Amino acid sequence: GGTVALADTWDMPTPYGDATFHTQNIVQFAQDIAEATDGGLDIIVHSAGSLFPHAEIKNTVRSGQVPIGEFFLSRLVNEDAAYGLDSQPFLATSYDDAARLWAAQEPVITELLAEQGLMPLFSVAWPAQGLYTNGEIATVADLSGLRFRAYNAALEEFAALAGAAPVQVEAPDIPQAFATGQVEAMITSPSTGANSTAWDFVTHYAPINAWVPKNIVVVNERAFRRLPSDVQDAVLAAAEAAETRGWEMSKAETDAQTAVLAENGMVIYEPSAELTAGLQEIGAQMLENWRAGASEPALAILQAYQQ
Amino acid sequence: MAALISAQVLLNFATRVFGLPLPSTIPSYADFSGFMLAAATFLAMPYTLRSGGHIRVSLVTARLPVRVQFWLELVVLALSAAFVGYACWYCSALVLESRHFNDVSNGIIPIPLWIPQSVMSLGMILLWVSLIDSLVQTFDRGAPVIQHAEEV
Amino acid sequence: MSDPLVGVVLLGVLFALLASGVWIALALAGVAAVALVFFSNAPLGLVLATTFWGHSHSWSLAALPLFILMGEILLRSRLSRDMFTGLAPWLGGLPGRLLHVNILGCAIFAAVSGSSAATAATIGKMSIPELKSRGYPESLILGTLAGSATLGLLIPPSIILIVYGVATEQSIARLFVAGLLPGAMLVTLFAAYVAARAWLDPDLIPRADIRMSFRQRVWASRGLVPVALLIVGVIGAIYTGIASPTDAAALGVLLSILLAVLSGSFSLSDFLDALLSAARTSCMIAFILLGAAFLAVAMGFTGLPRNLASWIAEMGLSPYVLLVVLTLFFIVLGLFLDGISVVVLTTSIIMPMVLAVGIDPIWFGIYLVLVVEMSQITPPVGFNLFVIQGLTGIDILRIARAALPFFFLLLLAVLLITVFPGIVTYLPSVMSR
Ligand code: NA
Ligand code: NA
Repeated sequence: GGTVALADTWDMPTPYGDATFHTQNIVQFAQDIAEATDGGLDIIVHSAGSLFPHAEIKNTVRSGQVPIGEFFLSRLVNEDAAYGLDSQPFLATSYDDAARLWAAQEPVITELLAEQGLMPLFSVAWPAQGLYTNGEIATVADLSGLRFRAYNAALEEFAALAGAAPVQVEAPDIPQAFATGQVEAMITSPSTGANSTAWDFVTHYAPINAWVPKNIVVVNERAFRRLPSDVQDAVLAAAEAAETRGWEMSKAETDAQTAVLAENGMVIYEPSAELTAGLQEIGAQMLENWRAGASEPALAILQAYQQ
Repeated sequence: MAALISAQVLLNFATRVFGLPLPSTIPSYADFSGFMLAAATFLAMPYTLRSGGHIRVSLVTARLPVRVQFWLELVVLALSAAFVGYACWYCSALVLESRHFNDVSNGIIPIPLWIPQSVMSLGMILLWVSLIDSLVQTFDRGAPVIQHAEEV
Repeated sequence: MSDPLVGVVLLGVLFALLASGVWIALALAGVAAVALVFFSNAPLGLVLATTFWGHSHSWSLAALPLFILMGEILLRSRLSRDMFTGLAPWLGGLPGRLLHVNILGCAIFAAVSGSSAATAATIGKMSIPELKSRGYPESLILGTLAGSATLGLLIPPSIILIVYGVATEQSIARLFVAGLLPGAMLVTLFAAYVAARAWLDPDLIPRADIRMSFRQRVWASRGLVPVALLIVGVIGAIYTGIASPTDAAALGVLLSILLAVLSGSFSLSDFLDALLSAARTSCMIAFILLGAAFLAVAMGFTGLPRNLASWIAEMGLSPYVLLVVLTLFFIVLGLFLDGISVVVLTTSIIMPMVLAVGIDPIWFGIYLVLVVEMSQITPPVGFNLFVIQGLTGIDILRIARAALPFFFLLLLAVLLITVFPGIVTYLPSVMSR
């Protein structure tokens, strides 16, 4: 059809590349809205941090530089522990757990984000995080002494409790860090493993499902309220569809990418009962420590989740 | 001023050297060295300007009559001062926004972002003052005061 | 206003600002401001502050000032002079003689640093004064330096390959390996060009000072030992896992201070001089990077590069024609934007069409690096030109003229990897187990 008068254009920064299923889901989300509003709202997706660096995306939505954006939810853990529960090791370790956790998180996070004039639209889980090593890990004791990649406080604590030595390595330096022995073990998703061709530097993968982190898409509330009400409805409907679709894509991604790891000669093994029990124990210990310093909203989420 | 810049560069350097043998002993050292880099960059702005360190194209202006060169220099300084003044305003607004929302870095150690951001703001303000100062001096002297980088 | 008209207006503003002598960093930021105010609905001031902040503290940039400081320290000690004295007798018989130090020096340094600006600054700081004092022609000194420093992007580690690998989810390890043979090919091309120029015009290059016996040469080479130790130390630290590539810069500074002090020609005031000079050069480069980042964000908001790329995508070209058109596209954008911004702004549109016609993404990554290397030495926005102007005070247009032959050599390299894709794909294919 012809161009609609007063059509809105929204620039949307996202942190990940076009090959990532999160980005593909968002591109579909934008298309859904364009179709539903007959071109009334045109969302231009700026993927791979091409508009703003990942670290700045939330604040650029807050200050209205862009009306909408995506980021990794637990990046905000230093603002409030409530944002970080999905990256707490061994708290929620399956898609069902993760969905229940998100149900508990959503109302609390909605309130926290509202204080910054932000409104969550939808959140999609990454595949669960697995363990990459050279050689099989049968028990927690096998992790002892290994140089372990840690990029946040929780992972540093995890490494310490497992008797491993935490090493900070920035994501782009991972292959070289493994090749040179600076790092000997890491926990990350099968997607990241496959995309960084982990088989070039590690031999074994165990789907220990350590945690199921999420990305979140937020809008600037004022920008959203300025939209005509039928366009607002279209955005909300597309967001709901994107959340459902995104989680399905994530599950398909887990299977597909684990298969890619196997096809390329990596040994995929289920974690032994002993290893799982040991990891759960560390998780429980960490949760105890976490409780001591957690905020009210964070504790409320935990309580709702554990009921 | 020079001492301050040197100190900044040294600090930046020290953060990295001490992080070297035991990367895990300084948590968030990537954050720290990044903030040091920003501080060193912005605080060195006025010194770099006055010593001719910031580069520009001089092939065209060098062929103009001296009188025209002088007036053009005044226009360029005024335009630059206006733009940098505008940037100062919004850099300072960013500091206030970070302070208002208690924004922190996302590394192992949460660093309040207004602290490194104020250093950026301070550096931009010093650059602005230096541009205004150069404008006034150029006008008084009737000739450009900003050093021209010597060809070596 | 139509896209081409907007483009022309912005170019006019950029040229006017640059020609009237506005500092390059501010000219880039100024044209970005014009673009944002008139051709987008993004709030100028907020975007400016966010971009300046967001791009000033990135981890990948932290190594730049340290490498520059390393170059300053080596220059102020006897080490860099000793190195040239040590190399001179060996290169005496080769047409082009010490100019090859620029090329090989850049290639070696490229194995330590991921950026071409750091490579140009560190090697240029030492080699320009040495080569000038020995009477080498200015155009070849500047040209070999500007051209060879772009190797910093191709020979691993490489910032641009990391950016490309992350944006397109290609293995960074494979991309690094893929860069090795093309890197060696470029070194050969550059060296062959210098040799050919020297051979065609024997008066161009100053004559060898004295003929030396093999023993005398070996004895003269003792000056190479400290610098060799430095290189072995830094590269060794990276490849044995002691330091990440980004940490290597700090180690390089530490080792160069140590060697300079041991050589007995380095005082505290030399060190302070080096520090101030490094602060000035890094500040200049960082400010231009911020201006360029702001321009890239403004281009993201106006959508000009994206629309241009979509326009190419709609033409439905065959692989070879597509590559010709893309090369022109990248050369034109590379005149005005820094290379990494060009890649970041256009991969979303470019990658699907590249994959659709069956071009290998690893090969395309290396192709991109080569075209980005070209953009580093074309005016008005070329970072190697900026760095060399900062080092020498010579205007960027004159440096750009000196670098022009190397631009064409890079173009030749693009042609070679297109005709013989194995140059890129052979090593990564061997890597697969
Ligand atoms: Na390199
Ligand atoms: Na260029």
